Parts: sequence; C-alpha cells; structure tokens
Amino acid sequence: MLIALKSVLDRELKKTFRQKSRLLSAMVRPLIWLFVIGGGVGSIMPNSGPQNYQDTIIPGVLGMTLLFGSMMSALTTVYDKESGVMRMFIISPMPSYAVILSKLASSTLAGLVQIIMLCALLFALQQINISQLNWPLFLFSITLTAIACSALGLITAVVSKSIDNFAAIMNFVIFPVFFLSGALYPVQNLPTVLHWVATANPFTYGVDLIKHSLNIEYVSADFPLYVDVLLLSTFSILAIAFASWKFSQETTLSTLINKLTGGKR
Amino acid sequence: MIQAKKITKVYGDQHAVDQLSLDIPQGQFFGLLGPNGSGKTTSIHMLATLIRPTSGSITINGLDVQSHPQQVRRDIGLVFQESALDRMLSIEENLYFCAGLYGINKDAITARMNALLDLFELQSKKRAPVGSLSGGMRRAVDIIRGVLHSPKVLFLDEPTVGLDLPSRRKIWRFIRQLIDDHKLTVVLTTHYLEEAAPCDNVAFIKLGKLVSEGSPEELLKELGKTIVEVDGPNVDDYIKKLNLKTEDYMLDGRTLLIRVHEPQHDQVVQIQTTLRDSVDVISVRKSNLNDVFIWLSSKDQGIS
Repeated sequence: MLIALKSVLDRELKKTFRQKSRLLSAMVRPLIWLFVIGGGVGSIMPNSGPQNYQDTIIPGVLGMTLLFGSMMSALTTVYDKESGVMRMFIISPMPSYAVILSKLASSTLAGLVQIIMLCALLFALQQINISQLNWPLFLFSITLTAIACSALGLITAVVSKSIDNFAAIMNFVIFPVFFLSGALYPVQNLPTVLHWVATANPFTYGVDLIKHSLNIEYVSADFPLYVDVLLLSTFSILAIAFASWKFSQETTLSTLINKLTGGKR
Repeated sequence: MIQAKKITKVYGDQHAVDQLSLDIPQGQFFGLLGPNGSGKTTSIHMLATLIRPTSGSITINGLDVQSHPQQVRRDIGLVFQESALDRMLSIEENLYFCAGLYGINKDAITARMNALLDLFELQSKKRAPVGSLSGGMRRAVDIIRGVLHSPKVLFLDEPTVGLDLPSRRKIWRFIRQLIDDHKLTVVLTTHYLEEAAPCDNVAFIKLGKLVSEGSPEELLKELGKTIVEVDGPNVDDYIKKLNLKTEDYMLDGRTLLIRVHEPQHDQVVQIQTTLRDSVDVISVRKSNLNDVFIWLSSKDQGIS
C-alpha cells in the first residue's frame, strides 16, 4: 500500500514538472489575476488605491492556484482516456478506496507544488514578504485547502457519467466555485443570495483559512479559524467517503470500464 | 485454473452473456472467439474481475472472483484493447509505476523487467516516452505490463487489433515465447482467427451463448477439412445444380463457399465437373478457423 502510494506520488511529481506549458500557465494565470484584475478593479475603487485591492485578492489568487492545480489533477487522471493510467488502477489489486486516496494524495501534492512555486514568485516580485506569513498556519491551510479541492475534483469525476468537455467543467464547476467564494471580495459584503451561495461553498473556507495565515493589511478573514478548519475537514472526509463509495459501485465502474475499453461489450 | 459456471450478464433487458460455462485448465492457451457484439469482451471482463456477473460463479486458482477480487487480481494480468500506459512517461517509468500498484518496489522488479524488455527487444528504448513509440512497440510494453507482476493467468483482449502484419507477427512471437517460458494460462479474444489457430482450445460464442467448443483441429474436422470456393455470375444456379444442403454452403458476396467432408477427392471432382462451363473460378483450399467462424456466425445455418 505504501509502495503503491509512493509510485503514485512519484508519477505525479514527474508529470507536474514534465508538462512545462501546464506548469507555466499555472504560474501565469494567478499573476494575470493579481496584476490585471487586481490592478484594474483596484483602480476603479474610490476609497482605496490599486495596491490595496491587489493585496486583498492575494489569498484568493493563492487559493485559485490550489483549486486549478488540485482539482484539475483529480479530474483529468480519472477520466483521461489518452493516458491509460486509470486502466492500470482498475486492474490493480488496490481496493477502490485506496485508488481514491492515492489520487487524492497526488492531486493534493500537485496543487502544493504549484502554490509553493507561486509563493516563490510572489516573494521575488515583492508582492508579499516572508515575514507576512504565519508559516505553520500557512502550510496547514494550503494543505487542507488542497485536500478539499482534490476531494471536490474527485466527486465531480465520479458523479459525472462522462466528462468529455472540459469547457463545461470550467463553466459549471471551477468558475462558479472560484467566483462564488471569498476569493475576490469579502463574503460579508455580498448581496443575500450570493452570500448564501458563498457560505455553502467549501472553497470559501479554504480561502478564508489562507487569509488567517497571512498578515497583510486590508486582508481580513470572514469566519473564525475553527469554523474554517472544521468545515473543510468535514467536507473533505464526506467527499472522500462518497467518492470511494461511488467509485466502488458497479454502475460507476462499468461506465468507466466501457469508456476505457472502447465502449464494447 | 479458471472455472466459470453459468455466468450471465444482463444489461437492461439484453443478455450480453447468457449461461456461459468454461473450464480452462492450468497452462492452457484458450481462445474466446465470436463476432462483434457476441459478448467476448463482457465475458473476459467478468473473468478478470472488472464486472460482476448478474448470475453464475467464477473461480480462478480456487479463489472466488466475486468475493475476493483483490486477491484474484494479483494472480491475473490483463491487456486491454486500448493501451493502459501513461504516454508521457518512459517505458521504464510506466513499468515501475505499474509494479508499484501491485506493491512491488523497484529493486524487486528490475531484474524481471529487464528480462522482459530483452525478450520484447525493447531494452534500448526503455527511456523513451511511450507516446513516441510505434503502435506495435506500445502493445509490446502493454503486454510486459500485463505479465510484470508474474501472474498465473494472462487475459489478452484483442492484443493485435490495429497493428500491421509485421507487428502482429512479432507480437505473437513474443506471446508464444512468454507462454513457453512462464507456463502461463492464457485467455485470448481475437477476431483475427488465424491467430487463434495455435490455441489448445477455442470456444465460439454468439449472442452471449456458447455455440461450439473444442481444439481447432476438432472444429476443422467437424466443419470439413476442405473448402471449395466458386466465383461466377449465377451462384443460385450452382446451388441448384449441385443439389447442396443448406448447411453445406455459405454465400460470401458473389463467392460460394462449399465445405467438403471426407472422402474429399470425389466430391471436389464432382463439383468441378458439374460447374466447369458456367463459372469464372473454382479454387480448392484447406479450411481454417475463419470458415468455422463464418458458418457459425450465419443466422440460420449452423454446423450440423
């Protein structure tokens, strides 16, 4: 079991660093948000300068890296027909929960590698200062958030019968999760309906937890720390349990097998 | 080694596999043959623990497939119609990854992996990404993947589909070598029936039901060892002239296939003299598994 986990993680690292363009876009995407959206929206805000809004969305941009990194990693490998890795998993002696857990671990790792690289970039660009981070809390928050994002990716993967269209997932899952969270604006000030949705969105608490771990002016968390930790852990555990259960079901598996073996009977 | 008792798989109201029973002894090279949609792949997936039969039972090496799928998976290797490899990783990385999923670490598998790479003539390519390999080489890597964890049974689901003839020949040379070296029990599905000729035993299935089983020699003997092919403009006429029984001929487009039982010589000469003036070509050849397949696949005619 440990050997299996080790090879799964090993593979994920190799892939993360080998797909140069994906890694590059994972670095460029948050920077565009930070400088273009952050700068642009900041400049139309009457009471605060561009720099203030940019600072406000730093936790959101960090969270976004985890969301894209971990969730995409969780989604793609499960349904990627081109890479036959899922075929190797389903014929291996690993029980279905072990497949789900090792996917969870590797997706979490993928997100963490990306966020740590982004942090290094932000330090280099002097967007944040090393002293502004509460390191133990920061590492804890990004790990927990990455786990929650991976879990979200896994349930998306197991409930959708076939994911052929990434644009659809971007539009119906990733974007709503990102926009309807506290990533770009404080949750407290949102209109009622949006406030409800954001409160129900687990990603909101991930971003909030990251806010707790950063000591930046204009950045303040919306919820108490324990609420974030409690909700994220509960969500992750339930999502993993659900994904494992669903993955072990005949219908899910036979759909997957038919898909993976060319749909023939 | 493999015992399947009356396995049935129902999808909706369709019986994909219907009361199929198989008994495959250890070390046998077994072929499961049939037209597309006959239930071959569903059957092999049930045997290989991937899908559960609606009813019936399967044991492999004495273990019940449905109650111990994880243990059974250690004993079996499976090569799908489509590659189960990561195209971005090298051959070596793929194989180490796969061994890892079976709980075997690098040091323990390196020697075996290298021996297999030598056998499949891939030693020099082991650091190349799988995506850069030709179809034949990729399939070879897939087969190495299938036997890397030293399974007792190897399932090959259309192992040469989509490959050109030289690659197919090569893959088969490797597979035979593997069977000889490792005393594997092999279950094969293929629609290139000439590839099933070296099987010890074959079973033909049609619409999920077993229609015929036996060694290729027995089946050919049953069909008739000789086939006469007649090409010409008036096939219906020839059938009348020869007074053929429905089970003794097949129409394949404009070609009339006639199976000839022993004593062959007289009957062949008789066909030739009767039709000499009215046909384009008459050719006489040995029957093969394709003919058995054609006879079995036709809807209203079967081997009597």
